[in-house]
Amino acid sequence: MPVFFRWLDERLDLVRAKRELLDREVPDRLTWWHTLGSATLTVFVVQVITGTVLATYYSASPDHAYDSIQFVTREVASGSLLRGIHHWGASAMVVLILAHMIRVFSVGAYKYPREINWLLGVGLFIIVMGFSFTGYLLPWDQKAYWATAVGTNIAGTTPLVGGALVALLRGGSELGTATLARFYAFHVLWLPLSLTILVALHITVVVRQGIAARPRDLEAGAPKTTRDPAYPSYYRAAYAASKRGGVRFWPDILGKDAIVSAATVLLLVLLAVAFGAPLESPADPTDTSYIPRPEWYFLPIYQLLKLVPGSLEAAIAVGVPTILFLVLVGLPFFDRGSTRNLLHRPLALVGLAVLLGGAGFLIGAAGRAPAPTSEAGATLTSVQRAGRALYQSQQCGGCHRIAGQGGEEGPDLTTVGFRHSVGWLHSFVEQPSRFHEASRMPAYGPPALSHQEIEELAQYLATLRGREPTPAVPPQFYDTFPPPRRP
Amino acid sequence: MATQTPGVVSTGRRAFLRWATAIGGAASALLAGVPALRAFLSPTFRHKREEKWIRLGEVDQFDPEVPTKVDFVDAVHDAWVETRRLRNVWIYTADGETFRVYNGRCTHLGCNYFLDEEKHVFRCPCHTGFFEIKSGEVLGGPPPRPLDTLEVKVEDGILYCRYQDFHLGVADKAEA
Repeated sequence: MPVFFRWLDERLDLVRAKRELLDREVPDRLTWWHTLGSATLTVFVVQVITGTVLATYYSASPDHAYDSIQFVTREVASGSLLRGIHHWGASAMVVLILAHMIRVFSVGAYKYPREINWLLGVGLFIIVMGFSFTGYLLPWDQKAYWATAVGTNIAGTTPLVGGALVALLRGGSELGTATLARFYAFHVLWLPLSLTILVALHITVVVRQGIAARPRDLEAGAPKTTRDPAYPSYYRAAYAASKRGGVRFWPDILGKDAIVSAATVLLLVLLAVAFGAPLESPADPTDTSYIPRPEWYFLPIYQLLKLVPGSLEAAIAVGVPTILFLVLVGLPFFDRGSTRNLLHRPLALVGLAVLLGGAGFLIGAAGRAPAPTSEAGATLTSVQRAGRALYQSQQCGGCHRIAGQGGEEGPDLTTVGFRHSVGWLHSFVEQPSRFHEASRMPAYGPPALSHQEIEELAQYLATLRGREPTPAVPPQFYDTFPPPRRP
Repeated sequence: MATQTPGVVSTGRRAFLRWATAIGGAASALLAGVPALRAFLSPTFRHKREEKWIRLGEVDQFDPEVPTKVDFVDAVHDAWVETRRLRNVWIYTADGETFRVYNGRCTHLGCNYFLDEEKHVFRCPCHTGFFEIKSGEVLGGPPPRPLDTLEVKVEDGILYCRYQDFHLGVADKAEA
């Protein structure tokens, strides 16, 4: 033994630590699926390394966030690669942690005596989703801004506390500077700290309890439920028996972990090189025509919200995740059967299949759906957007209706852009009685609105050409104007 | 594993997994660590001095023997924040063909000097330094060195200078 190592060993008892951590015997015939947990941990470490360096080139302020992202992408050596790894690493975290959970679920490893570790795992999953949600805003591009606007609004639909929840998430009523600062603080301080603590506990528990054995090694001759007083002693004996293969944690398990982890990191680097990380144009809070789509792992809930009527919005948006969370938390306490193999647990099998099938179906449906469009089927210019704001502030919707929204007093404006030109619309809004003496619409000419405002409104109205974009069919209209008034 | 007898894991497999741990661990560390380290150290090995040629104007507009001051707004890149600073240079030509362009800051402490038309010298108001117009030599006062001349070029009848600032208050002209 080298002198230095002996010096350390005398003080830290490294030999015993190695015996207990690395040389410990583990159950026989563990599968490659057992490497998912360590792969998740590896990706987390990669995220910490890449994220720490990215943070040194980041400014958490709406004035500079986007520019700093561009700076790290263009000016910093390997900066673009680093952003790519961090971006794909985020998705990998979600995939791996879900796969790890499904694996644990499938072999009943959340059952006695591992209930606590399952709960720690559920906590880790929530934190990873928190990382995704907060990290998404940081580039401060269009997607970041609008996806977060929608995400925080979903929280706002929570009954009773919705308003307070939105203010808490945003650090104010509006999405802006305070939001970015608190999302950043959570992303780089609170969440990593919480995750590190929970991971340490999670791993400590695994080391103390040992790696879960194959279901069949823990099923033969078992009492029917884990509540049976005889179950703990049965479990101890069966688990000890499963270790008889002489398999050791190192290198038998760790070697496989290292292979899968390295392959995962390699995949991340390849994805980063091939696709990089997306960056859209800078966030524009006035651009209400931008319709965001969330990251893929939020797509199931996104698509679900499209399928339900608005009155059920809150129930789905808040209810479904809450129910899923409660099911995950309650699982080890309600499922007390001693059967562990998924194929012998029909209810669990059906539940998992429905959940995965449903999520897959919704993601697929969201993927097939055409890109969302505004009611004009086109992106609005700044003048048209100003007109839209006027349409709202002047309460035009009180009498008029666009795409099913608004009053029925006046004519439906959903396709008014097909029927009239901008010039005609301008003149009409200015003084409707010139066109129809009996018109009940008030005149919006000065001083009600300035000519510039009327023009903006008319420009906006001219974009209303129905829900579907129909660029091939130009509008056709023969507008007739009343004869000019004589002074 | 047909060759595996109960209770004994084959030594060949163990040796492979030992190597796999070492190589896999090292590969992961390198794949993530190298780009991270490169990005972190990037400022130390990236000295990208951009060539900044400032367009001063058409050659014809500078009359011989008449010093002309040109102000321009310089965009300064401070990492991802771009700020603008107002800078100026003095241009002197004796024949309309060869040009001397002086950095507009006095070499003493950086004040903007001006043309004293009576005495026909450059004069710095802060500590009363005087410079000769033709050569930029110090005629009097505290400035430690002549006015800083800048690199110039003429392309298609347009006069350009490469703007640079130099260390102030010292006798040597060293790039700041």
